[in-house]
Amino acid sequence: MSSERLTTDDATLPFPLRAIGAISTACGVLASFMILASVLITCQMIWVRFVLTKSTVWQTEAVIYLMIGATLIGLPYVQKLRGHVSVDLLETMLPPRMRRGLAIFTLVVTTLMMGVMLFYAWEMFHLAWSRGWKSETVWAVPLWIPYISVPLGLFLFLLQVLSDLLALILRLDPQSIEITQDRRH
Amino acid sequence: MDPLIVGGLVALATVIVLFSGVSIGVGLLIVAAGFLLVFDGARSLEALPEVFYGELNSFALLSIPMFIIMGAAISSTRAGPDLYEALERWLTRVPGGLVVSNLGACALFAAMSGSSPATCAAIGKMGIPEMRKRGYPDEVAAGSIAAGGTLGILIPPSVTMIVYGIATETSIGRLFLAGVLPGVLLVCLFIAWAIYDTWRRGAGHVALGGISYTWAQKIEILPRVLPFLAIIVGVLYALYGGVATPSETAAVGALMCFIVAIVVYRMYQPSALWRVLRDSTRESVMILFIIGAAGVFSFMLSSLFVTQSVAGWIADLDVNRWVLMAIINVFLLVAGFFLPPVVVILMSAPILLPIITSVGFDPYWFAVILTINMEIGLITPPVGLNLYVINGIAPDISLRKILAGSLPFVLCMVLAIVILSIFPGITTWLPNTLMGPAQ
Repeated sequence: MSSERLTTDDATLPFPLRAIGAISTACGVLASFMILASVLITCQMIWVRFVLTKSTVWQTEAVIYLMIGATLIGLPYVQKLRGHVSVDLLETMLPPRMRRGLAIFTLVVTTLMMGVMLFYAWEMFHLAWSRGWKSETVWAVPLWIPYISVPLGLFLFLLQVLSDLLALILRLDPQSIEITQDRRH
Repeated sequence: MDPLIVGGLVALATVIVLFSGVSIGVGLLIVAAGFLLVFDGARSLEALPEVFYGELNSFALLSIPMFIIMGAAISSTRAGPDLYEALERWLTRVPGGLVVSNLGACALFAAMSGSSPATCAAIGKMGIPEMRKRGYPDEVAAGSIAAGGTLGILIPPSVTMIVYGIATETSIGRLFLAGVLPGVLLVCLFIAWAIYDTWRRGAGHVALGGISYTWAQKIEILPRVLPFLAIIVGVLYALYGGVATPSETAAVGALMCFIVAIVVYRMYQPSALWRVLRDSTRESVMILFIIGAAGVFSFMLSSLFVTQSVAGWIADLDVNRWVLMAIINVFLLVAGFFLPPVVVILMSAPILLPIITSVGFDPYWFAVILTINMEIGLITPPVGLNLYVINGIAPDISLRKILAGSLPFVLCMVLAIVILSIFPGITTWLPNTLMGPAQ
């Protein structure tokens, strides 16, 4: 079904690539705990609202920010596990040499696209930071806090994509061309 | 340029970009950014991260990771095999007992896990060897589980339905209810075909069952099966009682599933819990990223007036609405052959829904039709994920046999679409009765 290789950071990879892999794994752990935290906070909110019958202020907003954060911070980890779904029909029909070329091409366009997103995401964060924007709720969270997850997550994602690209070009990780995926839903 | 021509170019570009093998979320962003750049200038790219962020900035979306955690917690336990055992012990006297309990277990487990491949794997691991041992033909054993697994995206709670609800701003609770009776209809059609096929292949005698269980054996298995079922029923009850929103009930459900996994299934090793959390994070991130990217994609479509023009164009065509529905079905079917259900829904629902409702179809009925189309994609090549899951758990059944066993079930699904088109009440009766008519 899904072929996840937990040991992409095998010892054969040069240090920088292993380091990037380790950062991506750390991101995965962080994202997982953000999702777990949002489960617990939502339950706490229900407890406060339905059992203690008090009103809640920050919970709804906090869990949304946690979910957005988890999505973006989780991107590099999912990339590392080859967990991003793609249509691999063409790929499976190509001979190995062309398949490698295609994989390099897709990683290059991914890099470019994420670079563009990162550039504008940084601007979005910077605007919120420099102008002191706050969310229009009772809690009034400075918006740079949730916004920062966008450039940060995209940057780390870009790093992992570049690392995969390098490994592919230098033929460091022969398995990385077997792009496999999971189409659960 | 005419927005309709732009729409045609977008469709072409999307097919080319996605087939290049780039990951789907990134692919959607590339198409969106490319068209905005060409037709709206570089300044329009500024909006991309904001639109992406805005798309994810929704409490309703939280129900996706929550339901995924719920399903992952259940799938990581022995709940699938236990459920299978329980049904087999209780239904052994029913004619065709084993196939009935297999498909029943698929339907129930589908409800609990919300995932088609997980259902195939959990029930198939026990069900396929058992059916073959008792003399069922390989095709029936493999095909019934492959088809039964697809119910995961139709029977509530279903992540696919949640995504449809979010993409079309329809009620998730109502969508869940709409999937129930069509799900039962499909199970009945599947069972009927499986029994007929068994008999046709000259193995009719095995379908009559034979093994009997004592009451002690029947009762003994219940405590392991009922807690998860109770949680699902509880979650659905809270949802329909109007007690809480889908995200809230799903969060409580996720926590309770974790607790049951720890207490009943003794899954307290940190590594096992981490695996559940990791798998759900991986899947949630993948889906949420695609949702964000699809938001950017539809922003591009409406900025360039494609959505509006396509809807207007189809309205002007003035074709018979059933011809229109048939064309839409073919389109969905083809899209479902290549793309995961979530992606098809995110890309097509915002364009198709206004068209569907303007010619007088019910959006909840359409959700079910769309989902059954997506189910077909799960057991047909080239993607047909369930086929590969079955191939993985029963490697000695050839892919050809699995396919031969599964294809008749595709016809069952097509038949279900026809039945639901003639009797749309099967879909709308339950939600209308329990929740009042939709506005």
